[in-house]
Amino acid sequence: MTSIPEAERAGRGRLAAAPEKASVSPRDWRNALWVAPLVFSLIVTTVYPTIFLVSLALTKSTLGKPFGAFVGLKPITRALFDPNFHSAVLKSVLFAFSSAIVELVIGFALASLFVALLKAGRYLLTLVLLPLMTPPVMVGIAWKLILAPSGGLLNGILLSWGVIDQPMSFLASPVPAWLSIGVADLWQWVPFVTILCFAALVSLPDGVREAAQIDGAGPWQRLRHVILPLVAAPLASIFLLKLIIGFKLFDLVYVLTFGGPGFTTTNATFGIWRLAFEQFDVGRAAAQTLIFAIVIGIVTIPVVRLHKRASEYYS
Amino acid sequence: MTRPSTRILQAFAALLAVGFFLLPVAYLLSVSFKRPDDVLTGRFWPTDPTLANWPAAFEATSLSTFILNSVVVSVLSGVLTIAITLPAAYAMIRLGIGKKFLPQATLASYIAPPIVALLPFFFLLKTIGLLNTHAGLILVNGLLNIPVAFWLIAPFLRRVPAEIEEAAALDGANRFRTLVSIVAPMIAPGIAATSIIVIILSFNEFLLASGLTLSDSMRTLTVGISLFQGDRLVNFGQMAAASLAGIVPIYAIALLMQKHLVEGLAHGGVK
Repeated sequence: MTSIPEAERAGRGRLAAAPEKASVSPRDWRNALWVAPLVFSLIVTTVYPTIFLVSLALTKSTLGKPFGAFVGLKPITRALFDPNFHSAVLKSVLFAFSSAIVELVIGFALASLFVALLKAGRYLLTLVLLPLMTPPVMVGIAWKLILAPSGGLLNGILLSWGVIDQPMSFLASPVPAWLSIGVADLWQWVPFVTILCFAALVSLPDGVREAAQIDGAGPWQRLRHVILPLVAAPLASIFLLKLIIGFKLFDLVYVLTFGGPGFTTTNATFGIWRLAFEQFDVGRAAAQTLIFAIVIGIVTIPVVRLHKRASEYYS
Repeated sequence: MTRPSTRILQAFAALLAVGFFLLPVAYLLSVSFKRPDDVLTGRFWPTDPTLANWPAAFEATSLSTFILNSVVVSVLSGVLTIAITLPAAYAMIRLGIGKKFLPQATLASYIAPPIVALLPFFFLLKTIGLLNTHAGLILVNGLLNIPVAFWLIAPFLRRVPAEIEEAAALDGANRFRTLVSIVAPMIAPGIAATSIIVIILSFNEFLLASGLTLSDSMRTLTVGISLFQGDRLVNFGQMAAASLAGIVPIYAIALLMQKHLVEGLAHGGVK
């Protein structure tokens, strides 16, 4: 759905005849064997959960006893009119978009920097693999240690520089708590964005930069009119990918704030998890999951469209 | 050419950024050598380093069981993912099976967050008797990582020259033989990078592992660590040591394979 169209176009350019020549008679039943396990697993991971969640949402279901009495649309309407659930979904959406935008900007800037540094940049690029390989739970723990009110590195530094008089508890007030989650997420995912942006930038034709420089374009003009249009399509893919990853936020919330203080950092995923595994109200959790999935679909569609237009217009 | 002063500024900015990306891991490492009262100073370096936290972390929790569970689950689920994805990706990309729809459906399935799969898989595993087992986690991780593996491996398959397969076909090799003995060795770096990335994804996975395991003997590392934070491991030094113990091997693999990993990720994203 995402990177397929332009990928196929690129493939066609180079290996024009390959798929046609190699393709086999479509009526051959043995062809189906190649993809049968994949099709089966797609059904198990998408179709089955959807049907299952719908049936859970329509019945009185607990973790121990699913599919009790039929209750109709009650769990669904309840979720639709639940202000706490509204705000949890809103937080998920805002987090996904704002983290994707900020991380794309930083990742792109960093990738440009690494490209400018030539060989040294490539070495530095491999060093930033580390955050990407770190389990989010451990990322959360590392940042929790840095942000801790007593003995945290950040408080230690701020105190010794005289910026603050007494330790601050960053995770105990709403805005700093969200910022902390954002910084931890940024730490984990900017390297990924940087690697992808780096690849997009080094695949630019060699002459592009020099030509623009000879024309007397300043650095900003070069970026705006020469480089950005050329990498618009990959940047749109990267944005879409990070957006999707952003909706999956769970581990950092669990470790850093556990949804608190109060419910301020409870996003949709975390709220649903608590509903199912702490209150065992599986019916309601299923209803909320379905609505959350639909919301993700609705807010992602414009981005997918944009991505499609970017890859058609700029390539 | 860029002026020398700009050069220095660029190098400085890059080093600053890399410092930021290494700092939390370095701090975790430093804290793992600190004594309890030393942790409270909020300084970076330990004043009186100790090795005691590392063995203590293993004694205070079932850390070695958690690590073993994570390794078993992630490696075997990686094998499952590749075993399903490689032939399917080959068939879709080189033989045109599944037309345009199947590749798009495979990638689109990645959009749904894992929370969608959690409850259905909980009851599925319970029904087939695989809840709280390695096999259950292997199955779930193995299937859910297929879209990522397809996304990573597809660009490598696209670059295999068509002539090679034609030659193999003339020689009378069937398509499966062609994949196994000709195409797979050619894209070995891509398969290696994809395998490592999906193994690390399973190793790092938390939400599903926390919902689908019920006893300490089945917990994976991430779940074990999350449960012990603020419980038995109130000691920051031990918590840091425990967090690092299981991920050090991952770092070692990542640094050894860095070239393939960067290449694998880069190809997937852009081409």
